[in-house]
Amino acid sequence: MSWEEATILLAGIATLGIYSFLIRENPFYRFFEHLFIGIAAGWGIVFSFKNFIWPDLMVPMLGLDIITFPDGTTSHPYNPWTLLYLVPMAFGLLFYFVYSKRHAWVAKLAIGFLLGMAGGAELEGFFNLILPQIVGSFKPLVVFDEGIVDWGASVTNWVFILTLILVMYYFFFTFSRRGIYAERIASGGRWLMMVCFGAYFGSTVMARMALLVERLQFLIAQWWPTVTGVLS
Amino acid sequence: MRELHRRWIYLLVALALSVPLILRVSVPPARMRAADRAYDLIRDVEIAPHQIVLMAFDFGPNIKAENGSQAEVVLEHLMRRRIPVALFSLYVQAEPFLKSIPEKVASRLMAENPGEVWRYGEDWVNLGFRPGNFLVLQSLARSEDITAFFGKDAFANRLADIAAFRNAKTVKDIALLVEISGLQGMLELYLRFFRAEGYVPKVVHGCTSISIPDAYIFLDSGQLSGLLEGIAGAAWYSARLRKEYPRQEADEAQILNTSLGVAHLLIILLVIVGNVVAVRSARRGVAQA
Repeated sequence: MSWEEATILLAGIATLGIYSFLIRENPFYRFFEHLFIGIAAGWGIVFSFKNFIWPDLMVPMLGLDIITFPDGTTSHPYNPWTLLYLVPMAFGLLFYFVYSKRHAWVAKLAIGFLLGMAGGAELEGFFNLILPQIVGSFKPLVVFDEGIVDWGASVTNWVFILTLILVMYYFFFTFSRRGIYAERIASGGRWLMMVCFGAYFGSTVMARMALLVERLQFLIAQWWPTVTGVLS
Repeated sequence: MRELHRRWIYLLVALALSVPLILRVSVPPARMRAADRAYDLIRDVEIAPHQIVLMAFDFGPNIKAENGSQAEVVLEHLMRRRIPVALFSLYVQAEPFLKSIPEKVASRLMAENPGEVWRYGEDWVNLGFRPGNFLVLQSLARSEDITAFFGKDAFANRLADIAAFRNAKTVKDIALLVEISGLQGMLELYLRFFRAEGYVPKVVHGCTSISIPDAYIFLDSGQLSGLLEGIAGAAWYSARLRKEYPRQEADEAQILNTSLGVAHLLIILLVIVGNVVAVRSARRGVAQA
């Protein structure tokens, strides 16, 4: 059995192990669930260390990228400024003080820095993301296409504007809503949101099916032929 | 009917999905207008010698059925047009796909077109997974030398030595961004930070079914120039490719789309039957009371 066949067989068994939950909760399922979570977490850590922390930080800092030629000359001189990498590395390690009851406040320095940086960046990002949407919500209520009214596009824009106003009104809590009409308008907003939630739920079902079909495709096209190939 | 155990429903759904896969049947996909826009954009995009297209694969193995199919068809289109593509990811679990998908597409194209060659370094370059989330995008967008910013590709080759990337200097040399992801908030990161002063690249997005409603918001506002909606979007894109390139070998997107269509019909049927049974049971209960 080749290495590739072994991995396909194991992947198929793992898939069936996870799907065995559909029959009932069982140790087979739980084993593969923990295995998956462990591998997913471990992959990120190992990959980051192997591909970034070691080659981009440690190698230049330790001077391991310097090649010494037979005549004693080197490919390039050691750059002592790379030692400055230790400063952000040490600052990042402050996060681990959360595990100390006595010195947990030290971790707050790193957390505060992160929050401040993220907040500042978000301010810039917010406008880049939201402004085009605000502009995009200004739609003509009567759309002309080569001088003729495009009824389809016009009705679509009416539905859009109506939905926008009704939903915004539903979430407008500054003044109390008094009167039957105010309540009905807010109720209209709620109904339109229900339609939206229905669409979201439909999308969720579709997405779950897509996850399943990929696994079934694997089991049918790769795993089962490998099983029969190994057994024969 | 009320006593029907959910295991039978699971079995029915699995059968509905499996039969088209086993029989390898596919029906023509429905027209997807947003995918049409993506196709037309990539068909017509003019690339200057110093420009590239950036493709971000931000998906893991769990959603590769949808995002993987989208990545394949869009990359195939770009490679057919000989547009140099730089692939990268902000999501660590996408790293294996950055290598496997372009290799798969290139070998399929070379089998289809004997005598023609698609080479790593000329037609595509793998920049690998880049940790740092939005900071990577923000720094990339502000970089005066993106070749120096990335430094090396995923195989530790200097980007300055790679033909496809050699002439790209700033983010303005990225003619188009193709972002493929089903992760919550990932597309928004690009829309927020991947832009320079006076320059916002055109963005094509591939999303999973679950994130279609979120993605439509950006399509409507013009922040997206094209959208591939789940497998259906990939299947329609693939059908358009086959129309333009009749020798194209059949890919899996249309078969997967057919499987999903059968399963969706089953779900609709079950919802209707379930509601009819519920209403009839309720009426019977009222009558007995």
